[in-house]
Amino acid sequence: MTISDTMSAATMTHPGVRILADRCAGCEECVVRCPTQALTMDTEHWVALANSDLCVGCRQCVRTCPFSAVVVEGPALVAPRIDPEPIHPARLRNDVSEIRAGFDGWVEALSEAERCLQCPDPTCVRGCPAHNDIPGFINKIRQGDLTGAQTILRRTSVLTDICSRVCNHAAQCEGACSWSLAGDVPVAIGRLERFVADTQPVPPPFVPSTDTNLSVGIIGAGPGGAGAAWELVEAGASVTVYEKDPTPGGLCHWGIPDFTLPEAVSSRPWRQLVDAGVDLRSGVEVSPGDLEELLGRHDAVIVALGASQPMRLSVPGSDLGGVIDATTFLQGAKAALGDGGDPEGWCSALGVESQDVRHGRFGSRVLVLGAGNTAMDVARSARRLGLDATCVDWLDERFALTRPDELDEARQEGVEVRFLRTLVALHAKDDRVGRAELALTTQDRADRRPNVLAKGHEFLDVDLVVMAMGYRRDPAFTDALPDTPVRRVVVGVPDRRWTASGILAAPASSYADGNPVGTLALGREVGLESAALPVTDRLWVIGDALIGPATVVEAMAQGRRAALAVLDARPARPGSTTGESADRPRRVLVCYESLGGKTAKAAEALADRLSVDGDEVRVLPIRKVGRTELAASDLVVVGTWVEGLLVAGVRPAKAMRAWLAGLPRLGGKQFALFCTYALAPKGTIPAMRRALEAKGAVVVAQAAFGPRELADTAAAFGPAAFGQELAHRARAGASSGASVGYRTVPR
Amino acid sequence: MVLEVQDRAAPQSDPIAAAVKLRPRVLEGSEQRFGPSDPDPNLDLLQRPRIARLVRNRKFQFLLILPNQIVFWTVIFVGLLGTAIPGLNFGAAITWYVWFCLVFVMMVVVGRAWCAMCPFGGFAEWIQRRTLWQRTQKALGLGRKFPEPLARLGFILPVGTFLLLTWIEEFFNIAGPGNPAATSFMVIGIVVTALAFFLVFERRTFCRYICPLTSLIGTVGSMGTVAGFRTKDRDVCLNCKTKDCMRGGEQGFGCPWYTWPASADSNLYCGLCSECYKSCPEGNVGLFLQKPFTSVVAPRRRRADIAWAIALLWGLVLYQQINATNFFGVIDNWLNTELHFPHYPNPVDYLGMIGVLALATAGVGWMIAKIFARRDLELDRPGAFADRSSRFRAFFVPFAYGLIPIVGADYFARQLPKFLQHAPRVVPAVAHIFGASSSHSAIYNFSLATNGWIVVVQVVVVALGTLAAAWSMWKISGRELASISTSRLGVRLTTLAVVLGSGTVAALLYVIMHAAD
Repeated sequence: MTISDTMSAATMTHPGVRILADRCAGCEECVVRCPTQALTMDTEHWVALANSDLCVGCRQCVRTCPFSAVVVEGPALVAPRIDPEPIHPARLRNDVSEIRAGFDGWVEALSEAERCLQCPDPTCVRGCPAHNDIPGFINKIRQGDLTGAQTILRRTSVLTDICSRVCNHAAQCEGACSWSLAGDVPVAIGRLERFVADTQPVPPPFVPSTDTNLSVGIIGAGPGGAGAAWELVEAGASVTVYEKDPTPGGLCHWGIPDFTLPEAVSSRPWRQLVDAGVDLRSGVEVSPGDLEELLGRHDAVIVALGASQPMRLSVPGSDLGGVIDATTFLQGAKAALGDGGDPEGWCSALGVESQDVRHGRFGSRVLVLGAGNTAMDVARSARRLGLDATCVDWLDERFALTRPDELDEARQEGVEVRFLRTLVALHAKDDRVGRAELALTTQDRADRRPNVLAKGHEFLDVDLVVMAMGYRRDPAFTDALPDTPVRRVVVGVPDRRWTASGILAAPASSYADGNPVGTLALGREVGLESAALPVTDRLWVIGDALIGPATVVEAMAQGRRAALAVLDARPARPGSTTGESADRPRRVLVCYESLGGKTAKAAEALADRLSVDGDEVRVLPIRKVGRTELAASDLVVVGTWVEGLLVAGVRPAKAMRAWLAGLPRLGGKQFALFCTYALAPKGTIPAMRRALEAKGAVVVAQAAFGPRELADTAAAFGPAAFGQELAHRARAGASSGASVGYRTVPR
Repeated sequence: MVLEVQDRAAPQSDPIAAAVKLRPRVLEGSEQRFGPSDPDPNLDLLQRPRIARLVRNRKFQFLLILPNQIVFWTVIFVGLLGTAIPGLNFGAAITWYVWFCLVFVMMVVVGRAWCAMCPFGGFAEWIQRRTLWQRTQKALGLGRKFPEPLARLGFILPVGTFLLLTWIEEFFNIAGPGNPAATSFMVIGIVVTALAFFLVFERRTFCRYICPLTSLIGTVGSMGTVAGFRTKDRDVCLNCKTKDCMRGGEQGFGCPWYTWPASADSNLYCGLCSECYKSCPEGNVGLFLQKPFTSVVAPRRRRADIAWAIALLWGLVLYQQINATNFFGVIDNWLNTELHFPHYPNPVDYLGMIGVLALATAGVGWMIAKIFARRDLELDRPGAFADRSSRFRAFFVPFAYGLIPIVGADYFARQLPKFLQHAPRVVPAVAHIFGASSSHSAIYNFSLATNGWIVVVQVVVVALGTLAAAWSMWKISGRELASISTSRLGVRLTTLAVVLGSGTVAALLYVIMHAAD
């Protein structure tokens, strides 16, 4: 039989889908992902069949077809999005009531929930840093089951009420929504999540009656610490949190003003955690030198320090009076605008004059350096204090780092935002800052630094300068937390499951403000997976301390991931009789790089032998081994073939070298090494050993197998004997790094 | 309200996997659909570790391409700068006395072996990938998709470029061979065109949709004994979540030819580049041998564009035989005079005769359909171009596939005179690069066969092709035409008779050509 084509069925009002039959390979990638079943299989011709009547134009099929064999034309069939307008107070001064409105009841929420396609491979889930099951909870809303929706959200998030308010959804879940990837307006996922959280409050942690006797210390009571503490306390661990501020919450508490995140919402997680038994020690500052002591006190320590050091711009005059950082301003503004606060008094303390804009004159001018989210928070707080606020940023507005809606809201509140300008000097007036000198800049691409122009400087009279260019981690922890911060960049080929989902195929949509949402999400995944691996023995790092300044939701997700890793690894502090789990088999990961099949065969033989002694063994080629697989293993056996010409250039295979170089910090994880060679392994094993030890791994055994040991007729098949040796060592509890096996391998 | 304890959700280690709810894949029917064309599992060459090691090496295809690259750049330079005597010019001699014949042998025996080592596509692909052999992530060029209306034409487009190239070659007497520089310009033209397509479009768009040889290699190559890279276990491929062989994986690029090893039922679009084997994370791809003519007889996925391509190619080779007769010379001269066209071949009789011959082939298919189609025959869908959903296509398409061996044999026989008469001239042509031979040398004037023997060989080749076509047509008609015909035996005998008649005509034309010569 022959194959068939379909002709275009698109009209001005209805999309049409067609299969390019010449190129369709019948792989079914589009069929299994089409949310409306507009695509089916013609099994006789083994090509996809298109039914335009069912097509809604989401173009999932176009993004997921490996051979570009699907064509969709015409408009998307989707209802208009329901977006409640911000509630700006009639009188801004001293009013910190919440600006962003949620849905006005079930009618709006259900209408918006109906816009969700319930995609079989939901790209929004990959776009969400916490990987909330978005179609799942939206489906529960449709069914009127908010308890079910909350249950689904709770699987991946403990901060639904906070994240639904502060996340930049356009660059995350909503930017990755199928409608958004197709160039249309996404489902209001953030507002639906908020609807669930506001209507069905987040339940407190469930504390089990049995205690694991696992003691975990968490440094920092921010969102990352909350995520970690929640999972640990629900698992029965004893959790102690050390927080340098008097109030827990970190940036959520002092860094995000109440008009974005009300105090009642931001304080909710820690109220519940303390009620659940978390030992919160506020006002305790941990220095790098205290880590050893904490590791002696707890079975595991999770560092969730955050990025609390404000960045400062060093220009002439930056040390003048009246130049402060964002932390100082935001903390002071929060106290001043809060219950019992004294806005006028605090303004006077800063040396500025507060005025009511209704009286026709503005107060003192605050120059805010930066136009990111922190800068917007500073400027909008300044407006509520009765000050005139101007933000300057050297980026082009097209590439601004703030949420688009936040920028709009700030402008509506009277904040002046000037892009393509940078501060070059501050000039004094009466012993404090009085004038700012700004240079013009140009920027043509988001990934390029702006150019600062030499001519055309502007001058601005200012009374207060707030540096709000962002934060960084305390540099004192650099040595104590090796190989951090982790860059959220995927090196090499991205996870093919992500490619298959289509999230990487679409160019940045306008709704996502030009952000390549797929690439960003994949980068966040590097941070999330890194959180599962300790940086040194029993020490995990999460949140901004791990990846540099990032978002609330990432910190929370990483906290959860690290907590699950701690629960999985069950580390024990020296001298402790608890913690180490003896009731589960040792999990061994045997990974290999094979060319002709010998190394793979050796890996299989080794695994078979280990299985005999009760180990739980997985055998994978190295290209399938990532951070997640490493984190879930107690012992990793790594094998490679040896490349080189006879005796020249002998070393581990190139793919193995690249894999070793790309490994994250391995924090005391145990490794065993082997290689298969034809003539001589020479420095293969030592090279692998050096690479692993540089990452903090502990190499417990090594072996090299030549043709004689690998021969099927060998009396003692080398890999099997090596497996037996590894099993024997496990029983004996030995973990020395001596060589074993069949050829002396120099260290 | 606080959730009940039993509602408490357990944290998940892989929340994405939990949220992904793909619709069930269609697995049923694959065995029935692909069973007849699936190769014997024991014929997987990659079961041999040494071959597997060689093919897995990323330099594998580079090493195949490199010698041809050297040869064809030499062809270009020697053709332009070397002697004007065709037989002594390496560029002209290697191209027309040896290369074209070798390509035919390779396609008949292997399939797309030439495509795996082609220096034109290979050179352009090196530039597109920005590497000679490594797996790179970013391609050079625009990476556009080939326009859909053109892609829908399938094999018709490359048949068109083949006809165009053949006409140019005849017009300028390139393959005669005439002036060696013309050969160089032709090769340069192909290289530049290929490079332009590789820089504008994605993957091997040029090789699949434009290359003048692709239709010939694709159709005639289906006689070959290499099935290509195919799945070892189709269920593994169907359940594969990443399709690295199509999209590209850690070690290999996505298939440059837009072929999925799990749904390939012939070697039609397997360029033997081994990228799918390298990229498959499951080790589920093999390089299989198959019985000769399997890819002619077994595939169920037959395409009308390929059937028309076969008819046109058949028309072209018959035209090339007829134009060597005295009768054609009379017509061509008359047309040139009437149309004031100065040169052989006149495009009107060139295209007209090919068109008439192709239509005659299609007409035979139409006649068979008219005579034998069952009155109750209902076809499931309205037909687009590549569809067979009409009575005519239901008969014509399988019938055309059955002609492949005879078409291939005829093309091969057509190339034999140059090879048998002049192949030894490659030796003095090579020596002439170093100034060490002349047209008076004994080997320059040595032929592998006399004219009389050449005709005998040509007739034997056509006879063998006819026998192969007869066997193929008998199988195809029994499997695909008998069930839709009023007379099962009648349709099989009729198609068989057409094959035998066609073979006889082709063989006779060689005898007549020889007489004319």
